[in-house]
Amino acid sequence: MAAGGLLTLAIDLGPDGFWWMNLLFLVAIYAMLGLSLNLINGYAGMFSLGHHGFWAIGAYGAAWFTIQFAGTMPGPLVFILSCLFAMGVAAISGLLIGLPCLRLRGDYLAIATLGFGEIIRIAIQNSDKDVLGGSLGLAVPRVIMDVNRESKGDFRVLMVGVAFAIVVLMAWGIRNYIRSAKGRAMLAVAQDETAAGLLGINPTRSKVTAFVIASTLAGLAGAIYAHYQGNVTPLEFGFMEMVKIFLIVVLGGMGSLSGCVVAAFLLIFVEQWLAKLPPEAGFFKDWWQVEYAFILVLLMIFRPRGIFGPREISDVVRSLRRKFSRGAAGENS
Amino acid sequence: MGGLFSTKAVTKKYGGLTAVSEVSIDLDPGELVGVIGPNGAGKTTLFNLITGADTCTTGTVHFGGENVTGLRDFERARLGMARTFQNIRLWPLMTALDNVRTVYQGARGNGGLGAVLRTPGFRRSEAEIRERAMTLLERMGLQEHAELIAVDLPYGEQRKLEICRALALEPTLLLLDEPAAGMNPTEKSDLMHTVDQLRSELDLTVLLIEHDMKFVMGICERIYVLDHGEEIARGTPAEIRENPKVIEAYLGGSD
Repeated sequence: MAAGGLLTLAIDLGPDGFWWMNLLFLVAIYAMLGLSLNLINGYAGMFSLGHHGFWAIGAYGAAWFTIQFAGTMPGPLVFILSCLFAMGVAAISGLLIGLPCLRLRGDYLAIATLGFGEIIRIAIQNSDKDVLGGSLGLAVPRVIMDVNRESKGDFRVLMVGVAFAIVVLMAWGIRNYIRSAKGRAMLAVAQDETAAGLLGINPTRSKVTAFVIASTLAGLAGAIYAHYQGNVTPLEFGFMEMVKIFLIVVLGGMGSLSGCVVAAFLLIFVEQWLAKLPPEAGFFKDWWQVEYAFILVLLMIFRPRGIFGPREISDVVRSLRRKFSRGAAGENS
Repeated sequence: MGGLFSTKAVTKKYGGLTAVSEVSIDLDPGELVGVIGPNGAGKTTLFNLITGADTCTTGTVHFGGENVTGLRDFERARLGMARTFQNIRLWPLMTALDNVRTVYQGARGNGGLGAVLRTPGFRRSEAEIRERAMTLLERMGLQEHAELIAVDLPYGEQRKLEICRALALEPTLLLLDEPAAGMNPTEKSDLMHTVDQLRSELDLTVLLIEHDMKFVMGICERIYVLDHGEEIARGTPAEIRENPKVIEAYLGGSD
C-alpha cells in the first residue's frame, strides 16, 4: 500500500513530462560516461577514478567555445564545433595525464587519476572569473534554438534525441573498436601485459590509446551536458559523480556495453525519483540518500559482477530464448 | 657461428645472487638448439634476458646482425623473436582464434577509424588475418577449438596454442620454454616432431629449454648445459652425454 502510494506520488511529479525528459537526458549523459569509462576500467583492465575531470573539461571547453563564438556563426555550427573543441581539449588532457599516470598499476593508477580529476575541478573553481567563471561557473549561450517557456519542451526533446543518438553511436563504435586488431591488443594487455609485450604489442601505447579515447568521449558527454544545462559550475563535477559513473560500469558489468546503459537508467532513475519525493513522503524523503546508498549495497550483494556480468543484453536474450525453446520442446515430447 | 643470434657474456644479478653468469650462446639460421640444466640453473632467466622481459646486468644480445640489448621486449618481438612460457601465459579470456590473430603484425594498423566504421579495407584485412590464423590453428590441430575460450582448453592444447600464438608473430627465432612440460611421452614425441617439422617449413631457428634429457637428445643438434647460472658444457648430444660435468650436475656431485 505504501509502495503504491509512493509510485503515484512520483508520477504526479511530472505531469508535463519535463521530469521524465530531464531524467532521460541524464541517463544518456551517464550512459556516455559509463561507456567511455568501461573502455578503461572494463576492457583495458586499468582503474581510473578521474573520469569526472574529463567530463568537466569537456563541459567547460564547450562552454568557453560557445561564449567566444556564439553569434559569429550559425547556431548549430557553433554547437557542433564546440563539441569537437571539447573533445579535442579532453583528448589532449587525457594524453598529458595518461602518459605519466599509466606507468602506475592498479590502486596507484586509481589514486593518481583521482588526484588529477580533483585537480581539474579545483583549478576550474579557482580560475579567473573572466575566463572560466570561477566558483560561479559559466552561462552557456543557447545556440541550437531559442529556449523560452514555450520552446523549453521542444528543446529538451531535441537534446534527449541528440544525446541518445550519441549513446547508440558510442556503443556501436566502442564495440567495433574492441573487435579489431587494436581492440584485441587492448584486451591482451589487460589479461597478461607481460605476454603481450613479449609478443610484439606495445602495452604503454595500447593503454594510453584507451585512456585518450575514453577521455575524448567523456569530453563529448560534457559538451552535450553543458549545452543542455545552459550553465556549468565546478560543483557539478565533484567526486560523487565519479562514484556514480564507476557504479554504472560495475553495475552494468565490466566490459558490457548494453549493461552500462541499463545500469545508467536504473541508477539515475532511482536517484532522481528518491530526490524528488514530495515532503509528504516524510521519512522516505528525508533519508533518500541513505536509501540510495542502501539500494546500491543490495545491488552489489546480489549482482556483484553486474546485472549481466560481462555479457551483452543480446547474449542474455539468446540464452533465455534457448532455455525457453528447450522448455517448450520438452513439453511437446 | 652466431649468424642469426648471439648473446655475449650476458649476466644477471639480483642483489648478491647471480642468476646468469657470462653466458654466450650462438645460433646459426635453421638450427635447433637445446638449453638444459637442473632446476634453478638460470634457463628461464636466460630466456628473459634474450627476449627483453628482463634487462642484462652486463653483456649484450645480438639478433639478425643488430645489437638489441637496448630494445624493449615488444621491439625485439617485432624483429622476429617469439617465445612461449614455462607457465602458460595465454590471454585467458580470449578465444583461441583471438589469441593467435592478435599477434599478427600485418594487422596491427587495423584499428582506429577504419575499425569503428567497418570500412571495406578493414573487413578485407580482418578476413585475411582470420584466415591466416585459422591455417595456423589447423597446422597445430586446433581448428576445432578456434572459438573456445583459451582457459577452457585442455592443458596440452593450451601448450600447443602458445606455440601457435608465437608462430603468428612470423618469427625467425622461436624460443620454447619447456613446451612439453606436463605432457605424457607420446604427446611429447608428437610435439617434438611437430616442432621439428615447423622448423623446416617456416625456416625457423629454435632455441629450446627442456628438462627431459632423452627428449632433448633426440631432436637437438647442439646443446648448452647450464648449472648455477654458468655454462658448464656445450656440444652435440653425444658429447653432452659423455661429459662428466653434466653427469655430475644432473646426478649430484660429492660437494
